[in-house]
Amino acid sequence: MRIVACIKQVPSTNEVRLDPEKHTILRDGRQSVVNPFDAHAVEEAVRLKETCGGTVLAISMGIPAVEELLRDALARGADEAVLLSDRAFAGADTLATSYTLAAGIRRAGPFDLILCGKMAVDGDTAQIGPELAEQLGIPHLTEVDAILSVGEGRVTVSRQGQQGPETVEAALPALLTLTREVNTPRMPTLTGVRRSLTAPFVCWGADDLKADRGRCGLEGSPTQVVRTFVPQRERETVFLSGSPERQAEQMVKIAGEVLA
Amino acid sequence: MSGLVIEKEKCVGCGACVSACPSAALSMEEGLAVVDGAACVLCGVCVDTCPTGAISVEKEEAAGLDPSDWRDVWVFAQWEGEGFHPVTLELLSRGRALADSLEERLCAAAVGCTEADCAPLLDQGADAVYLCPALPAEYRAEPFCAAVLSQLIRAHRPGIVLFGATPFGRSLAPRLAARLGTGLTADCTQLDIDGESRCLRQTRPAFGGNLMATIVCPAHRPQMATVRPGVFPILTAGRRTGAEIVTVEPPVLPPPLTRELAADQAVQAAAGLRGAQVIVSVGRGIGVRKNVKLVERLAELLGAQVGCSRPLVEAGWLSYDHQIGQTGVSVAPKLLITFGISGAIQHLAGIAGAERIIAVNSDPSAPIFAQAHEAVVGDCVEILEEMIKILEKKPN
Amino acid sequence: MGSLLREMTDEYQEYLRDESHTVGWAEQIAFPRTEEEVRQVLRQAWERDLPVTLQGGRTGISAGCVPHGGVVVSLARMTRAEGCRALGDGRFSFLVQPGVVLSEFGKWVESKRFDTRGWDGESLAAYGGFCRSGEFFFTPDPTERSACIGGMAACNASGARSYLYGPTRPHILSLRAVLMDGRTVALRRGERFAHGLTFELPCEDGSVLKGTLPTYTMPPTKNTSGYYCAPDMDLMDLFIGSDGTLAALTQLEVALVPSPAFQWCVNAYFMEEDQAMTFVKAVRDDGEKAAAIEYFDGDALDILRRQRAENPAFSALPPVPDGAAAAVCVELHDDDRSHIQARLFRLGEQLTAAGGREEDTQVARTAADVATLKFFRHAVPESVNMLIAQRKKQDPVITKLGTDMAVPDDRLDQVVALYRRGLRESGLESAVWGHVGNNHLHVNILPRNGEDYRRGKALYADWARAVTDMGGAVSSEHAVGKAKADFLEIMYGPEHIAEMRALKKVFDPKGLLGQDNLFAKEGD
Repeated sequence: MRIVACIKQVPSTNEVRLDPEKHTILRDGRQSVVNPFDAHAVEEAVRLKETCGGTVLAISMGIPAVEELLRDALARGADEAVLLSDRAFAGADTLATSYTLAAGIRRAGPFDLILCGKMAVDGDTAQIGPELAEQLGIPHLTEVDAILSVGEGRVTVSRQGQQGPETVEAALPALLTLTREVNTPRMPTLTGVRRSLTAPFVCWGADDLKADRGRCGLEGSPTQVVRTFVPQRERETVFLSGSPERQAEQMVKIAGEVLA
Repeated sequence: MSGLVIEKEKCVGCGACVSACPSAALSMEEGLAVVDGAACVLCGVCVDTCPTGAISVEKEEAAGLDPSDWRDVWVFAQWEGEGFHPVTLELLSRGRALADSLEERLCAAAVGCTEADCAPLLDQGADAVYLCPALPAEYRAEPFCAAVLSQLIRAHRPGIVLFGATPFGRSLAPRLAARLGTGLTADCTQLDIDGESRCLRQTRPAFGGNLMATIVCPAHRPQMATVRPGVFPILTAGRRTGAEIVTVEPPVLPPPLTRELAADQAVQAAAGLRGAQVIVSVGRGIGVRKNVKLVERLAELLGAQVGCSRPLVEAGWLSYDHQIGQTGVSVAPKLLITFGISGAIQHLAGIAGAERIIAVNSDPSAPIFAQAHEAVVGDCVEILEEMIKILEKKPN
Repeated sequence: MGSLLREMTDEYQEYLRDESHTVGWAEQIAFPRTEEEVRQVLRQAWERDLPVTLQGGRTGISAGCVPHGGVVVSLARMTRAEGCRALGDGRFSFLVQPGVVLSEFGKWVESKRFDTRGWDGESLAAYGGFCRSGEFFFTPDPTERSACIGGMAACNASGARSYLYGPTRPHILSLRAVLMDGRTVALRRGERFAHGLTFELPCEDGSVLKGTLPTYTMPPTKNTSGYYCAPDMDLMDLFIGSDGTLAALTQLEVALVPSPAFQWCVNAYFMEEDQAMTFVKAVRDDGEKAAAIEYFDGDALDILRRQRAENPAFSALPPVPDGAAAAVCVELHDDDRSHIQARLFRLGEQLTAAGGREEDTQVARTAADVATLKFFRHAVPESVNMLIAQRKKQDPVITKLGTDMAVPDDRLDQVVALYRRGLRESGLESAVWGHVGNNHLHVNILPRNGEDYRRGKALYADWARAVTDMGGAVSSEHAVGKAKADFLEIMYGPEHIAEMRALKKVFDPKGLLGQDNLFAKEGD
C-alpha cells in the first residue's frame, strides 16, 4: 500500500506580536514547525505501513526551508519526501494549494490513501483535505478519530459526523483528515535521524509538475486578503452588584444565556 | 506578472515592513524597502504594516468571467431529519440583508426534505427555495448534496453561497468550491457588501483569533463562505410576496464511493469533569463542610459537575476526582461558576480553558476575579441559597 | 488605614503548608501588594514581636515557608512586572515583584506581551527594544513551574539547565529588600562588596548594617546549604538563597539570555546503571558543554512504565524500551544547525561505546518533542508524589524522603556506590533521578510504612555525613528550610551554625523572620 501524508509548515505559535510603540506587527523569530495535526497524519501513515506493509510519502508545498520539516517526517518513519516549491506557488489560497498538491501527488503516484491533519493551526480553514480530494477525484472523510481497517480496496473509519461519531467506509484511493484523537505521534530515534539525511527527497517546481501556472499561487487563487488587523480584546471583569438575591438572579440569567 | 510591489515614491524607509515580514524577505537598501522575490510568500502582512501604503500585492486577474452574470444570495439549508440546523436561519437572516443591499433575491437550497418542511425557510425571508426532495438511501448525504448543489449552482449562477460551518458544512463546502473552481472563506464572523465593487467582504479570524483578515473573491463566482453557528442573530422576517418552492430532480450519479455503516453509540460524556459543559466549583471559602451540599444541589439544578480546589480534597470534603488544577483535572466548560475559590495559580492553570467564568468570593481582591468574566463579591452561602431558590421555582 | 493583617481562618488553611506536606500553624496572614504594604506588615509584626514567615508559591519541599506561629506574609499577590532594562550588550532584564510566577513570566517573555501600565519612560523604551529583538529566555527551570520568582531567589533554585547556565543567583542583577523593622535595602550586582569577611551595608534611610560573615568554605558543587559566604563577596548574594531569614525581597531584576536557535533533547537508555554513568562521563568530557544531563534509574523507569499503561493522563509519555534499567537525558543548546547535528551524532557514538543503542534513543528536535521529554522528566517526581500521597492516607507519618545532595565531579561513582549500598542493605523501596551532570542525584526513598520512614530518615542522615566527607553539599537546590536543618548542622558543625545565627542577627535582631529555617530558633 502506498500512503501519502500531507504536511504544512506553520508558525510555532498563534501569538501575533505587536510593536508596543509603533503598533505594527512584529516578526516572530521562532522556528516554523509542522502543523500539529499533520504530525498525526505522518504517525498514522507510518503505523499503517507497519501493520499493512507499504511505503509512506511525505509531501508539502512551501518554501525551500520546508525540506527540514520533511526530513523530520523521514526521521519519524516516512520513506520518501517531496517538496513542491516554486515562486509560482507563492501566495496560494486553498484552491491553488490543493491544485498544486494534487499535481504533486499525481506526479508521485499511484497511491492508495492520503492522510491530512484536520486543519492547519494558522489558517484554521480545514479546507485543503476536501478540496484536494476533489482535485484528485477521490472520496474524502473529514474528522476521522480512528482508522478501523484498511484493505480489499476500502478503508473503514470512525469519524465525527453531524450527529456524533459514526462508522463510515470509503473506496480506495481515498483521503482522510485526522483529528488528534487518532494517535500519539512518536519521537524520532537517533537511527531515524541518521536515515533521514540520506532518504529519498526531491523538490519539484511548476515545470516538473507540468502545472498550469494560472492555477497556481497568487494567480490561481480566487480569494484575496484585502486587509488584516489585530482584534481589540481588552476584557474587563464585570462586577455584578445588588443584594444577594439580585446577584443570584443575574447569575442565573447569564447561565441561561450561555447554555441556551 | 503577479507579485509584491513597493512604490519607491511612497516608501519613507521606516523599516516597519522589514521587522514585520515573517519570511525575512524584505530588507532596506539605500534607505528604501526592497523585496527578495524568492523568499516572499505573498502573505501580505507588510501591506497592512506599511504606514504610507507603499506596498501592495499586484495580481493579474484571469479574464473571462463576468460577475454580473451571477446574481442572488444563496444559503445552504442543512436538513437534519426533523428540522433545519439553526445556523440555516441565522444565515438567512444575514443573507436577507446582503441580498437587499445588492437588490437581489435570497434563495435557499435544501436536500432530502418535503415542501412542507421548507416553510421555516420561507418564513425567514427566502424569495425562493430550491428543493431536491430525494436523498437515495445508498448515498451519504454529504456527497449527494455536493452533487445536487454543483448542478444547481451551475444552472442558476448565484453570486454568493453561504454554508453553516458545521461538521457537515465544513466538509461539503470545500469539496464544492474545488468542483466549481471558486474561492471559499471559512468561519466568517462578518459578511458585508463592498459598495463599489459589489463584492462580498468576508472577515474571519486566523491564528487562533489573534489576527482578523478581510477576504474578497473578485473574479470568481460564486463567492462562497462558511459561518460558525451562533455568529449571526436570527432576525424577525416575514414571508416575501411571490416566494416559491422550486422542486428539482436529483442528479444521475455513479455508484457511491463512501458508505455509512453505523452511527456509533453516543460516547458517554467524558466521565466527570474533563468533558463537562457546566461546572460548579467550590473552594475553602465555602466555610463549613455541610455547605458542600448546597453546591451539589445547585449543580444538580444546572445539570453541572462539581469541581473543587485542592484544599477541599485535602480536607476530605470531596474526593480527588473533583479536584481542578495543576495537580487535578484541567477543565474547559462552557460555563464555570466558582464559590469561595481565591484562585491560587495552580488552580487557575486548570481553568484556563473555561469559556465563561462567574466567580463568587468574599474577598474583592481574590486573584480569581482577574480571570473571571463576572465577579460577585459576597457571601457564598447566601448566593448559593438564592440561586437554588430561583432555579427550584423555574419549571424544569 | 486599616491593618493588612487578617485572622488565620479556615479559608486560609492551605497557607499553613507547602509541597513538603508538613503543616504549620499561624495566627494571622497578610497579602501585601506593594513594597510599602510589605513594610507596614513587617513593621507591625516587629513592633508586637510576632514571628513572620514569608511565602511565595508554596511549591518548596523543604518547608521553608511553613509557618511556626505568628504571621504568614504571602507575597503571592505581588505579581507585577514593574519595568524593563536594556543591558547594553543586546540583552534585557525585567524588574519583577516577588510573586510573579515562573510559568507566567515565561509566557510573557515568550509572547513578548507584558502589562506595561505604569512603567517609566526608560522601561518603555527598553521594552520596545526587547520586542523588536530576537528571542530570549529566563534560564532557571525548576520542575515546579508554578514557583514564584521571589521564592526561587530566596532558595537559589536550580533545574536541569543549571548545568550550563547556573542556578538563579547569577541571573539576578539587582534587588530590593525590606528588613523586619521596615528599613529597606537596594542592591545592584557588582556595586557593594564585603571587605574580607566583614561588611557594611547601608539601608535607604541612611543607617548602616555592620557584620561579619561566617568563616566556612562553601563546597565546590551546586549548593544551597546555608548562607552564601566568601571573602570579598558581592553583598547581594547574601540575600539570594537566604531562605527567607534575612529580609523580604520586594523587587528582583532578572536577566534574560538569548534563546539558542536549536534546543534539542536526547533520551538514551541503558541496560545497566554503570553504562549510563560511563555515558555521563563521556558527555561531560566532550569539549562542548551540554545544557543539561539528567538521569533516571530503573525504578524510576518502572514507575513511568506503570503510569503510561495505567493512567490516561500519562498516556502521551514516550515508551520506555523493554529491559532498559537506566536513562540519561541530554539537552543540547546551539545556534548552528550543522554544529548541533555533529554533536548529536557524537552523542550517538558516545552512547554506543557505553553500551546503549541508537535505535532506542529518542531525539527531540521540535518544541513539541522537547515538551514530551520534559513531560517524561517531570512525570517521575509527579508520579512519586502521587504514590506517596496514597501511602500517606494509610499512615500519616509517611512523607517522601528525597535527597538533594551534590558531590564534586570525581566522586560520582563513589556517591552512586554509597546510595546503592545503603538502599540494598536497608531493603527500602526507592527511585533515583536527577541532575547527574552536577553529580546531584535525588534519591527518593518511598516508605511503605512508618518503620520504613524512620529507617529511611536514618539512612539519609548517614548519607549527609558521607557526602560532607566527600566535600559535597547536603542541600543543592531545594534549600535547607526546616526539613534539612539537621543536615546543615552535620555539614557545617555547631560553630559555623553559630556564625550564621550571628549574621542573621545583624538583619533581624529579634530573630522573628523565617524562624526555624536553616537552624532552630534560639532557646529551642
